[in-house]
Amino acid sequence: MTFETISFIVLAVASTATAIGVIAFKNAVHSALSLILTFLFLALFYLQLQAMFIAIVQILIYAGAIMVLFLFVVTMLASDQNEAELEDHIPWQRAVGGILGLVLVAALSYLLFTGTTAHPTAVNTAESLSSAVARYGNTEAFGLALFHGYLFPFEVTSLLIIVALLGALVFGRRTT
Amino acid sequence: MPLSAYLIMSAVLFTIGVIGVLIRRNPLIIFMSIELMLNAVNLSFVALSHFLNTVDGQMLVFLVLTVAAAEVVVGLALIVSIFRSRHNIDVDEMNILRG
Repeated sequence: MTFETISFIVLAVASTATAIGVIAFKNAVHSALSLILTFLFLALFYLQLQAMFIAIVQILIYAGAIMVLFLFVVTMLASDQNEAELEDHIPWQRAVGGILGLVLVAALSYLLFTGTTAHPTAVNTAESLSSAVARYGNTEAFGLALFHGYLFPFEVTSLLIIVALLGALVFGRRTT
Repeated sequence: MPLSAYLIMSAVLFTIGVIGVLIRRNPLIIFMSIELMLNAVNLSFVALSHFLNTVDGQMLVFLVLTVAAAEVVVGLALIVSIFRSRHNIDVDEMNILRG
């Protein structure tokens, strides 16, 4: 049992528990806090997979910006929603949802067990990630790829952010 | 850990998100389940990027993060404006488009 195996098992159990907590809590604020914990455990997964920049960006953007937005809206709308979850309009909804979820995870896991090979296929060319990381460092290797190969998608995401900002302004405007 | 362990972890998190969308009726929690699904796919991207020794998976995670942030902004603004006009956000009550 290497340290990597132990940490993977601990992170897997913890992130599954907090993910189930997201969908199981009655109070929406508890769900939001549980989702923040899930993001943190996923960032630790990314650290284990040697993706340092993505781990930090995950914590900064997801737990730091997106969940803050969520908590604003949840606390603004939460006061009269706690009683609404007690009665189900469709009585068999939860059972069918659970069964369909089990079918989905069984289908995905079946494909994984029969389709993929379990050993890493390392591409040891001059442009591979591990050689760039060994030469420049982890974040610099990501930055070199971002500004050389992915420059156009990067600029398009800035356009996307402007469009989303305009959308939020239009929706948030008082129409009186 | 082999690659299939990370992919199964991603499948489990994705399924938990799908169940959350199916069984909850508060649209904020449905939104959080959608974010959970996006994060499950991010995990499989990063795992494949590590095991194929290329940076493209991490780059796609970066783009998915940006798109998810923009989507959360617009979606939450939509939910707030629905709440302002109807004072109720239960998705089972959103049925005025039904013919």
